[in-house]
Amino acid sequence: MYSVLKSEKGGVFAVRSLLKRLLTENMVDAVFVAAKTPYSDLPMPTLISSPENIETADPLAPVAPFNASRQASILLRSDTGKRLALVLRPCEIRALIELVKLKQCVLDPAILIGIECKGRMENALFLEQEKQRSGISISFYQDDNLKEMICSACNVCDHFQPVGTDLTLSVFGVQISTGIGVEAESETGTDILKKMGYSDVQPPAEREAELRDLQQQRLEAKSVLMEKTAEDIKDIKRFETLIANCLNCSNCRVACPVCYCKECVFVTDVFAHEPELLIRRAVKRGMIKMPTETTMFHLTRLAHIGHACVACGHCTSVCPSGIPVADFFITVGSKVQDLFDYEPGRDINEPIPYLVFEEENQ
Amino acid sequence: MNDQFEPQIIALVCNWCTYTAADLAGTSRLSYPSNVRLVRLMCTGMIDAKYIIKAFLDGADGVVIGGCHPGDCHYINGNLKATKRIYGVGKIMEQFGFEPDRLRLKWIGASEGLEFQKNMAEFIETIKQLGPSPVKSRMIL
Repeated sequence: MYSVLKSEKGGVFAVRSLLKRLLTENMVDAVFVAAKTPYSDLPMPTLISSPENIETADPLAPVAPFNASRQASILLRSDTGKRLALVLRPCEIRALIELVKLKQCVLDPAILIGIECKGRMENALFLEQEKQRSGISISFYQDDNLKEMICSACNVCDHFQPVGTDLTLSVFGVQISTGIGVEAESETGTDILKKMGYSDVQPPAEREAELRDLQQQRLEAKSVLMEKTAEDIKDIKRFETLIANCLNCSNCRVACPVCYCKECVFVTDVFAHEPELLIRRAVKRGMIKMPTETTMFHLTRLAHIGHACVACGHCTSVCPSGIPVADFFITVGSKVQDLFDYEPGRDINEPIPYLVFEEENQ
Repeated sequence: MNDQFEPQIIALVCNWCTYTAADLAGTSRLSYPSNVRLVRLMCTGMIDAKYIIKAFLDGADGVVIGGCHPGDCHYINGNLKATKRIYGVGKIMEQFGFEPDRLRLKWIGASEGLEFQKNMAEFIETIKQLGPSPVKSRMIL
């Protein structure tokens, strides 16, 4: 079921009125959505329960300070009996689905509202642009110059349509200054739209073509990036050059939505080396860089969660040394995903490859 | 050049099958090249990717994992759990220039001392053909 939510003030207002009605008509107890705090223009994931606070919600702003799936999974850790509507980007939903598979949270209390995503800007760039021209949540969808400012991972993302949602907010083929499309993807979604009195209409004619064009453009960009990165890491010397400025700060691990261990092995005693061992290594090799285990960290992270990488690009965004972490995660991750014919977040019932095994495997 | 090259091989072997096979090879006085360093684990199912990565980054020229034949695992299915994990690591190491042949998974039962000897000798031969591991000659961060 496809409907159009109209608002002469723009798509954001249409989304707000939808979310507001969810609250006022008691369909949900709270809404989890990106919203501006009183102190900054940067929308943060917020949990809103009072309808008037919905005015701050800004889910269409082309920015995501971090992958909100982690925060969503905290809210969904157990079924509290309260209904929650969560407005998330496609990469956030895919990560959330991976977290459900990893038994970190449940989706029973959730109404998932996905956004069709045209990409996000880096936080600093967004704040700068927002200062220059207010209303970036609308102009981003109309101004091609702004669209080119999205971050590198978004540039190669071909998962701009959310999957596994109840409702999808549709920005393709829609004039965002006049409203936004909404598509019901599940029975719950259809019920909500019917209850709100929206009528089923034909999706705009340009929608399919727009989606197809972007898909093709992104796939091309992705294969260019993967080819380049494969070249950059094709032997250990090149890889060491790529990660040479790594500070071992673990920001990438913290930002990663699917790196879910409560205590990472890299902060345990396993890697808290005795001085004797470090000196022995230095003697053996002539010299060692401190802190050690930089390569080990990146390769182990690849091996642990490469199959689940949703390519959100937040690892690159948070790197203080500008290392393109996401680039080699996307490149190597997709090889592992191809090996197991697995796609993270594609289907909640698709088991994680490492957790199932067939007897006939030799 | 390769004639002088003596590879260092790390063998991660399970307590119940491959380690016992190595023991049997010893007691049967079967000799095999001394390049292999055995690490005894309770089960191949406990092998984490980082063990293999660590071995390679510390300069191992090859890593061989030996476990029970499918169906024979002392812990029912530990070896099957290991299988995919090892395939995954192999795929990843391949992207960074480690030849896939440097990592081998072999099922060797407790009674197969001869099999163990043959496999190790053959694996060492493969690694000798490949030459020293690319990390040997350089600093690893």
